[in-house]
Amino acid sequence: MKSTLNSSTFNVTETPPESSSLENEVLPTLEIQTSDQLTIYNSQSEIKNPIEMFKNIATDFWSGRELGWRLFLRNLRGLYRQTFLGLFWAFLPPIANTAVWVFLRHQGVFELGGDMEISLTVYILTGMILWQTFIDAFQMPLKVINQNRGMIAKLRFPRESLLLVGLGEVLFDFAIRSLLLIPAFLWYGVTPDFALFWALPIALLMILYAAGLGMLIMPIGSLYQDVNRFIGIAMPFWMLTTPIIYVITGDMLEKDPNTSLLVWLNPAAPLLVWARDLTLFGESPFVLPGMILAVLAIPIFLLGLAVFRISIPVIVERMNAY
Amino acid sequence: MRTKHMSEHSDNSKLILNVDDVSKVFCRNLKRAMRYGLYDLGKEIVGRGEDRAEGQLRQGEFYSIRNASFKIEPGECVALIGPNGAGKSTMLKMINGLIKPDRGEIRIKGKIGALIELGTGFNPILSGRENVYINAAVLGMSKREVDEVYDEIVDFAELHDVMEAPVKTYSSGMRIRLGFSVAANLRPQLLLIDEVLAVGDVGFRMKCFKHLRTLVRNGVSIILVTHAIGMLQRVATRSVVFNRGRIVHDGELDAGCAVYEEILGASERIRTERLQQKTREAEIAEVTVVNQNNEPQSEFQTNDSLKIRILLKSKKKIENARVIVALNSPSIGTVSSVSTAYQEVRFDVDPATHPDGRMLTLSFKELPLLLGAYHFNISLFGPETTEFFHRRSGCGNFRIIGPPIDVYGMGIHGILKVDHDWKLD
Repeated sequence: MKSTLNSSTFNVTETPPESSSLENEVLPTLEIQTSDQLTIYNSQSEIKNPIEMFKNIATDFWSGRELGWRLFLRNLRGLYRQTFLGLFWAFLPPIANTAVWVFLRHQGVFELGGDMEISLTVYILTGMILWQTFIDAFQMPLKVINQNRGMIAKLRFPRESLLLVGLGEVLFDFAIRSLLLIPAFLWYGVTPDFALFWALPIALLMILYAAGLGMLIMPIGSLYQDVNRFIGIAMPFWMLTTPIIYVITGDMLEKDPNTSLLVWLNPAAPLLVWARDLTLFGESPFVLPGMILAVLAIPIFLLGLAVFRISIPVIVERMNAY
Repeated sequence: MRTKHMSEHSDNSKLILNVDDVSKVFCRNLKRAMRYGLYDLGKEIVGRGEDRAEGQLRQGEFYSIRNASFKIEPGECVALIGPNGAGKSTMLKMINGLIKPDRGEIRIKGKIGALIELGTGFNPILSGRENVYINAAVLGMSKREVDEVYDEIVDFAELHDVMEAPVKTYSSGMRIRLGFSVAANLRPQLLLIDEVLAVGDVGFRMKCFKHLRTLVRNGVSIILVTHAIGMLQRVATRSVVFNRGRIVHDGELDAGCAVYEEILGASERIRTERLQQKTREAEIAEVTVVNQNNEPQSEFQTNDSLKIRILLKSKKKIENARVIVALNSPSIGTVSSVSTAYQEVRFDVDPATHPDGRMLTLSFKELPLLLGAYHFNISLFGPETTEFFHRRSGCGNFRIIGPPIDVYGMGIHGILKVDHDWKLD
């Protein structure tokens, strides 16, 4: 638990009177950063006082903004400085995935879902970009903890800055990849609907929601590696149960209770499909489940923030015992 | 620098740090530690985190820190010392807020900073300049603050020519210098330092110490953890000694170092005793340190004479027995080793002629040892080196308690007072 009263900076010019050779040494006068802040650490859980905790979270987000920005730049610069293709690597995953599925569908390897009026490539590419963003945001909390283990275990800094870095990277990749849609739309002659502008806030809510889910599983994931392995194995199935490479129409949702169940049980589907459909068609059969998750997204994100914050000391204890 | 002890003060309002009856429990078994972690996490999330009952441990757990209390005033430099695993770093982590106490409370008044793991956050691909900004941000400095002191940082690190080169082209010493130079701009009210003083070349190290003394002189309180206790005297005035999670000394630095060395000596003694066979034919039964008048004594001054009396016992007759005595300082190892064979002292240990054992006295005249704790390691051999009977380690402990030494160089320090003369031509 922390409480802040106020802070100030002043010059300390006191010279102690004792004498010995050490004391006679001529040393410069420095300006010391002082504050009256009182910090108390005890065994109490911070969650006992939720208002205070969320205030502290907000303070730490604010004080961690500069560190977050620095680390974001560091990762970005580090990422592309030692590559030949540079930023191209940000574009590659959705292109490669889309290419694979478009090829398979054209070869008649699978026939799933209903028909659609627009180019299959644009359809899959749009879904794939959103899916990649969802998964990036979902895995982000565990990733930032694992990447910065050394720093977290040894240094005290606003941990929320790591979330800023993570969210920044997710948004950056999302923005870069979305640029792919411009040539794709032009090439395949797709005219996006005006409702496209609604897709953006929905996608942002999806990112918050996925990051919230990721923060909720982060503590278990950082204690047990099983979680990461399981996600690795489950990911392809998860993607296949999300209508990205095939179409689920409103008709199918009404007629087939299994399809409907699948959509309702899949946490990734509603917001993703809603955002994609608005971008391409201007309407979606996923409005209701999408609305529900959109309302839940921010509470889930806040809950995730609380769990993330209070679990870090417990995790640090297990990082290196003493 | 203030050397008054906290116990003399009852006024807590000026304190920069107050550690009050703090305990911390760890578990060495990995699987269990994870399981307990999950359980503790669940408790935290439902908000039931409470003080752990004293002495109540789950299977496989132990106290890393137990009932530790100490206080620090502004401008004090306190060293936390103790053997490995004694709990020093755990304490530092709790003060730094990285992990929570299981019991008790830590109160810090003012701004806190830490000098732990120099150069955290460095990205080897990026240039020195870029990394200065990253490292400074990790330590909580803003870009504007770094802009102001950037030249100072480069000056302090003495790395003017290479700031634009990627950090991966730096030597390890250069990286540490850069890391320290960035951290040197931290001027909080309480600075935590963990094992980072034994870095760089001698010149840079001296610069670091001088910097720390400057901070202390300007009112910064410092807590430092190190095993290099020889260096402590360059900056610390007080020590808190940890042993097996408990604070066993809080006060004068020199006395603390002596307590620490005694702990090291004792653990060595326990270790070798364990290695000994229980049924030995001959043994070093007693070792006593005495003064000139043959009275047992454990505290001496530099240049005092002392004797050790060694009682040897054997079940059978050992002809031409030999004894080796090593004078040890836990911090540096053997100071000097002498043997009966060297002075051609021949003797037998014969239960028939000496039923109560054979007493041997070794005299040291005007021992030129300086301040510190010392002990002996004594071995009993037969005429051949293969005929080993008994070894006692860490016995005959004694301390040199005066006169004071001056580690800053304007006096003498080290282990030995060497006879010397200065002459001007």
